Amino acid sequence: MHISMDWIREFVSLPPFEGKDGARKVATRFTMATAEVEEVLMSEEYYDRVVVAQIQQVEKHPAADKLNLVTFQFAPGKTHRVVCGAQNVRPGLKVPYAPLNTNLPNGMVLTPKNIRGVMSEGMLCSGEELNIPSKVDGLLELPDSAPIGQTLGEYLKKKRDVVFVVDNKSLTHRPDLWGHFGMAREFATAFDCPLKNPFSINWENKYHDLIAKQKGTASPITIKVHQDSSCLGYFGISIDHIKVTESPDWLKERLNTVGLRPINSIVDISNYVMCELGMPLHIFDRDSIEGGGVYIEALKNDEEFVTLDEQRRILKAGDTVIRDHKKTLVLAGIMGGLNSGVTANTSRIFIEVANWKAAHVRKTSVRLGLRTDSSQRYEKSLDSLMLKRTLFRTIELVLQLNPDAKIIGSLEYDGPNLSDDKSLIIPTSVSSIVRQLGIDIPEEKVLHILQSLDFKVSKDGSNWKIEIPSYRATKDIECEADIVEEIGRIVGYDNIPPKTPELRIRPVRLSPMQTVHRKIRDYLIFGERCFEILTYPMIGKDLLTRASMNDQTAPKIINALSVDHNLMRPSLIPSLLEAVSLNTRARDEFRLFEIGRIYNLNIDKKKNHFADEKHVLGIAFYQHERTSIMQCQNAVERLLSNLNVPFDIRGPMEKFSCPLMPNNWLGKHPFEHRDIMAMGKPHGTVFSVHPLVLRNFKLKGHLSLALFDLSLFEKELPKDKAKYIPLPKFPGALFDFTVVAPEGSEAQSIVGIIQKQKISILDSVNIIDIFALPDGKRAVTLRLSFLDREKTLTADIIKMAEEKTLEALSSQGFPLRM
Amino acid sequence: MIEQKLNELYQKFKSELGGVKDRAAALNLKALYLGKQGPITEILANMKNLSIEERKIVGPIANGLKEKIQQDVEVSLQKFELDEINLSLSQSQNKIDLSLRDSLLAKVQNHGGAHPIWSIQREIEDVFLSMGFEIIDGPHIEDEYHNFEALNIPADHPARDMQDTFWFETEAKPGGFRHLLRTHTSTIQVRGMKQRRPPFRFIAPGKVFRCERTDASHEMVFHQLEGMLVDKNVSVAHLIYFMKTLLSEIFKRDVEVRLRPGFFPFVEPGFELDIKCLLCKGEGCSVCKQVGWVELLPCGMIHPNVLRAGDIDSREWNGFAFGLGLDRLVMMKYAIDDIRHIHSGDLRFVEQFKSY
Repeated sequence: MHISMDWIREFVSLPPFEGKDGARKVATRFTMATAEVEEVLMSEEYYDRVVVAQIQQVEKHPAADKLNLVTFQFAPGKTHRVVCGAQNVRPGLKVPYAPLNTNLPNGMVLTPKNIRGVMSEGMLCSGEELNIPSKVDGLLELPDSAPIGQTLGEYLKKKRDVVFVVDNKSLTHRPDLWGHFGMAREFATAFDCPLKNPFSINWENKYHDLIAKQKGTASPITIKVHQDSSCLGYFGISIDHIKVTESPDWLKERLNTVGLRPINSIVDISNYVMCELGMPLHIFDRDSIEGGGVYIEALKNDEEFVTLDEQRRILKAGDTVIRDHKKTLVLAGIMGGLNSGVTANTSRIFIEVANWKAAHVRKTSVRLGLRTDSSQRYEKSLDSLMLKRTLFRTIELVLQLNPDAKIIGSLEYDGPNLSDDKSLIIPTSVSSIVRQLGIDIPEEKVLHILQSLDFKVSKDGSNWKIEIPSYRATKDIECEADIVEEIGRIVGYDNIPPKTPELRIRPVRLSPMQTVHRKIRDYLIFGERCFEILTYPMIGKDLLTRASMNDQTAPKIINALSVDHNLMRPSLIPSLLEAVSLNTRARDEFRLFEIGRIYNLNIDKKKNHFADEKHVLGIAFYQHERTSIMQCQNAVERLLSNLNVPFDIRGPMEKFSCPLMPNNWLGKHPFEHRDIMAMGKPHGTVFSVHPLVLRNFKLKGHLSLALFDLSLFEKELPKDKAKYIPLPKFPGALFDFTVVAPEGSEAQSIVGIIQKQKISILDSVNIIDIFALPDGKRAVTLRLSFLDREKTLTADIIKMAEEKTLEALSSQGFPLRM
Repeated sequence: MIEQKLNELYQKFKSELGGVKDRAAALNLKALYLGKQGPITEILANMKNLSIEERKIVGPIANGLKEKIQQDVEVSLQKFELDEINLSLSQSQNKIDLSLRDSLLAKVQNHGGAHPIWSIQREIEDVFLSMGFEIIDGPHIEDEYHNFEALNIPADHPARDMQDTFWFETEAKPGGFRHLLRTHTSTIQVRGMKQRRPPFRFIAPGKVFRCERTDASHEMVFHQLEGMLVDKNVSVAHLIYFMKTLLSEIFKRDVEVRLRPGFFPFVEPGFELDIKCLLCKGEGCSVCKQVGWVELLPCGMIHPNVLRAGDIDSREWNGFAFGLGLDRLVMMKYAIDDIRHIHSGDLRFVEQFKSY
């Protein structure tokens, strides 16, 4: 919102600004006390530099169809030429010219420019470039009466106003600050200057009396508010003998300053009052109201309605509208209709000043995508007790601009009884406020701040009762904490010195899950040289399809920004494939991992929740030349043993299929595939990706993935089961031998056979070497280590153990190689 | 007299040792000086002709000289041995190019690295752990109650506009809540409060989601860290202390902060915390939009309604809450120009934060 400081000064005598820096200082203080001032605009400089110029000649630019070379004059005897792209250039036209080094309001500083081979110095300006509303596209067209050579400031008789641009977001909770008078109260409090209130009881009574004097004439328009509407109060009054004209300069200037376009004297008054008091209002051409009454009601059926901006809009049943007995006139709180607006020919008007339920206005305005100056204010919850003041101020201005105008009939009202509203009273005490802020503030100061904000304080010893002004009590202030804020912000949070709290000591630990995440990251980064990546949790159907997966269990986002991100990923695999594919362009070999979540709809409707989220670790090992499946398996094995999880990596079994991979998924390699059993259950998988799926990702080379379900660690960490065994006191013996393994057998099974023999002196079995024999057979050299912890091994015992081993192997298809 | 002679003798030995070319010659020289026919032995033998006083002086000198010669010869022998080994090492075929470390090789991925978001998250987690905060987490797929209602943002509250929300298609049950992707980590506030009794303090880092067109400075997925402290008689002064400490720890230097009023329905009073721009030190630059201050985190005293939603008696307990954007911090710390790199999975990005 734009705040004109000139306007603010009508209500509070702030000391004059000391230059732009001084204005900025005031803005900063206001930011610290009330609301963020994003920018300080000073209608300065360029008003003194930009001059009225007259175009003399227009030629085509030799090198560009859409550009012209425009010759013009702004001082006698000297012509200038610039390159100009505007379409409305024509000889004789008067336009504003900004010479070199002018600092335009949009921040542009003019420097000499070479435009397609022609040097151009300075520019002819459009209204937009000068922050002046203009109905014409292209250059701002000045009237013929504009004196050539006069500066824009002189010509427009521009007053030097300073504008504070306040972030609307920081006013979300302050309906009272959407007008200059409310803002002025904040300035008065923040800078401790008295507030001048022209809207006193006496002032109000003056208008009551004025209206009462019209006794005898009946009101041409009556008001009926229906229960089902969102109306919180509706005032109306009729005035005759209106002359709609162009507004006087002071009015137009004010509106321009706050960013509104002047239209005509009546419309401008309604905007002016809204910007002054924060309450929107609507003025009808009374002749367009048929039947002598307005009805405020909820629409029964959907209907089409053309709003003032000439757009056709579909209103829904339930939207509150203002109708006459035939047609809809206004979409309540949002925008009037084209059918009842004030035009140049209007002479009889009906002024509406009403209040609406915030949620209602917001809902309709969001649905229609129509946010107006009016709806923006109503959706903050305005105060119905401000309606009368708004109406009287409007009448005051109408009468000021139309001395012949005459009020017809009486002040009409319908809606809830406004005097029923009880004021909000909040009990508090200075000590409580001081305790919550953590800084000592004298009682008088607290009192002064509250009073300056128009709060009424009644004291009962140290207990205070604070009566909140109605315009602050609609949504903003509701409890003691709100009072604490009022004092804190005016005292200035900057003035509160930091203090260490006295807190009880209690030990804190990472949760099991967090500990495991840290361990995994550390191990994979330092132990396996992997890079951690992050990918989007939202994916698209196309990605799933390329990964040969379906979207059955993926939660769907209904308002996604694109079809590439409208599903929550049910698996980490597609994201990993995409990330790997991206990185193969630049490298032949890499390892990466992500600890991320996967999301699956809860298919079992009995469980009363929507979707499951699971933490999953995904690891990708990529090598262009050959498969990384062994490196990947080894990494997983080392990782799991580092985590102290009891685990087994083994061939996949139908009965215990890994939940992280779809059943019968096409994407896994026919035999480079192992499942990870942990704590007795399938919890992960290690596999190479099938070339078919690799092809869908334009992936050349070999990719192995490992996935591990981390929900295993949600409750507790696996215990460290390492056990110390005293070092042996007696020497052991080694036994090396080679067996022939048939085609297709796994080395693990040889070791398994030996371990099953229950040889008491067997300490360890390892494989030393493997080499290929003809016919797909392999020679496997093993080393057994024998040890007796009680006594020295005898040759007999060793021999028995050796024979038992070899016999068992030979009988199960692994004969000794001679 | 004898002293001088001994000195001359040692000088002579030194100069001869200097001329020696190999081990054998060094051993010979030693034998020549210290052998039975050698000059030292001779001097020692002649000691009996000296007076007792003279013997007391000459004896130790002569013995010292003998030791010195032995040591010098040892040193010289060691040097010859070293030279021989070095010579043979230098003639070996297996000399290594020591500059050819993995980091020079194209094909090897020779290091790994943590994602910068995680690195900064961990650092902040550690700061809070050290101050007695637990770390907790919650679901990404939330419901309206936890994301809005419980945080004092009822339906049709204009504050809902400030956060563009991703919604899920949920069957509308009467009185039921729609599901959404959490728009802030504040959802943890209610979950955290319901799981524990005051006093307590915790932080909750995690991903949050906004339905927003992405560009260099906007993302639909980013990371926040929510914090909450509930105790007795907590004040704004305490909040300022915690925030200052936290930021000094993160930025490893004293940072100037300022609190200004900010509106967030779940805190009252609510603040925007700004830090003095680290780049221009408050002078005004493009990063701080000429203001000299950078908006860093929203915070405030927990609204009594929120405490109530967490089953906490707001007359007995109060506290503060804050939210910190991790992506912003990472981008500030490393001067990253495009927030979209964070979720790109591009190793050219992450490998810049490698750790050996």
